[in-house]
Amino acid sequence: MKSKITFLVFKKELKDMYRDRKTLIVSILVPLLIFPIMFYFIGRGQDDTNKKIENNLKVAIVDEGSSSLTSFLKEQKDIKVTESKDINSDVKSGNLLVALEIPKDFDSSIGKEVQGKITLTYDNSSYPSKMAYDKINQYINKYTERVVTERLTKRNINIAILAPIQVETKTSVKENEGKSQYFMSLILPMMLLIYCVAGPMAAAVDQGAGEKERGTLEPLLTTQASRMSLLWGKFLAITVLGFIISLASIVGLIIATKLNKGAMESMGNGEMAISMTSLFLVGVVALLITMVFGALELSISIYARSFKEAQTYISPLMVLVFVPAYGTYMVDAKNIDSYYFHIPLANSACIMKEFIAGIFNYTHIFTTLAWMIVYIVAALLFAGYMFNKEEVIFRT
Amino acid sequence: MVEVINLRKNFKKITAVNNISFTVNKGEILGLLGENGAGKTTTLRLLATMLKATGGTARINGFDINNEPEKVRGQIGILFGGEVGLYDRLTAKENIQYFAELNGMAKEEARRSIEYLTKSLEMEEYIDRRVGKFSRGMKQKVAIARSVVHEPSVMLFDEPTAGLDVSASRIVQDFILKCKEQKKAIIFSSHSMQEVGKLCDRIVIIHKGIVIEQGTIEELKEKYHINDMEEIFMRLVGERDEK
Repeated sequence: MKSKITFLVFKKELKDMYRDRKTLIVSILVPLLIFPIMFYFIGRGQDDTNKKIENNLKVAIVDEGSSSLTSFLKEQKDIKVTESKDINSDVKSGNLLVALEIPKDFDSSIGKEVQGKITLTYDNSSYPSKMAYDKINQYINKYTERVVTERLTKRNINIAILAPIQVETKTSVKENEGKSQYFMSLILPMMLLIYCVAGPMAAAVDQGAGEKERGTLEPLLTTQASRMSLLWGKFLAITVLGFIISLASIVGLIIATKLNKGAMESMGNGEMAISMTSLFLVGVVALLITMVFGALELSISIYARSFKEAQTYISPLMVLVFVPAYGTYMVDAKNIDSYYFHIPLANSACIMKEFIAGIFNYTHIFTTLAWMIVYIVAALLFAGYMFNKEEVIFRT
Repeated sequence: MVEVINLRKNFKKITAVNNISFTVNKGEILGLLGENGAGKTTTLRLLATMLKATGGTARINGFDINNEPEKVRGQIGILFGGEVGLYDRLTAKENIQYFAELNGMAKEEARRSIEYLTKSLEMEEYIDRRVGKFSRGMKQKVAIARSVVHEPSVMLFDEPTAGLDVSASRIVQDFILKCKEQKKAIIFSSHSMQEVGKLCDRIVIIHKGIVIEQGTIEELKEKYHINDMEEIFMRLVGERDEK
């Protein structure tokens, strides 16, 4: 293998890909924009729902005895009390978010210091209904607190007797940063795994099956360049493009969190709590995965007779990567069992989770790195075998 | 010079090329004549070291195809028929330059060679344009330039006029004759008797991987007492099939 020829092929393939503007724009813009657009709509949807509930919490109160609880709830500005003839049907259809039934003897029970019983009906399959239920519960707790305070005051007992322990909560990282880290450790490894497979796909199809279909492969094989030099040049170009696409997805995710600041509280309100070292290491892992799939996809593409056939053969790799991507989705970065680091691709997802959480466990890093090198070497040997096999190259 | 010695190629149980032997001298055009699937393309692919021989060998200017494939490839230029195989997003010059450098030429050397070919093939007008929108004839010229940019002394033509119109075919035929003038050893594969008769000094008739006859056109006509090459071909193939 000659490095000069490898570089020549690499340069030519990059130039060729660069000039294929439509593919390039789609390949880079889609991962760059998908997160900001997706998060914008998720954030906006969530925001709209929250606002709707805050401003228009429709509650039906069926009070048989004009209780003090009803008066208390009516005093709250964000609660809109409405009528309902059929509570169950209205809650189910979404006309009502929550319904509250208060029996006739409620106030007398409270007065006698007997437990007053009320019924709350909500739709547990509806997010707004669940939110409304939580809000009503908060007001009921406030009312309960007021009643308890009155009772204890009558008896000259300090309210503090009910709270023997005062808990002061401190978090290891700032609250929003922690949320952001957790969110990133869920979504980033999964999305990167998917993009590391999808990223090199177009280039691999073009440089393997595409060469066959255009009729450029045979002239290429009659040159003095060795097949391994050609293969390495193509492999490096595919890796570079795949990595750029993976990077675009990371940048897209960062932009998404910044743009939607405040919209999604569960994401940490746009706090970016990942260190540069962590980001760099996540990038290295993404690069290694891209190399594995770049070589694998190139091998498959060389085997295929046409673009269409190559796409058909390569597509199942996406399904394959979903298994470790989703399988590790909920794994907690701080409690990952060692065996995960021996499972192909799951190990990459797990090590990325650790990096994002700021954990640098050398045993895990070296185990994953060693496996990644094994996968890359195996994928490259396979690609080399395919590129040198006459039955594959001249398959008709 | 090309020497083919008992060359054989098996694809699993099928013998595509069966112990064929022939030679081609400098400044000579050898026509490889046969039906589709006779083994012409496989023979050329073996000579171009794209395929490995199962048995026998061939020497191109003294370099053995089995032991020195890279050196062999440095001696040959090859032009295929059908799809010319160019990179649409590269310019004509970039296409030719790429193959020149893959064949080990230095940039300056390649530039000079491309300049010469651009003039001789009259490509000045479009040499810096991307080939994607070229006509078939323009593409054919670029493919021709690509095949000779590294100045090979042996040329292989694999049905180079297949699918071309009359004027594009003429460009290829003129180019082949020019190669002959430049004293290159040329192997021209075709199933067109007319073309072979027009261009070739000697012919090798190949059928089901076996060389069934070879000689000059005049020698064959004299041997079989038939004036029409097509008749000679049909008779030889028919006789072989009967056996």
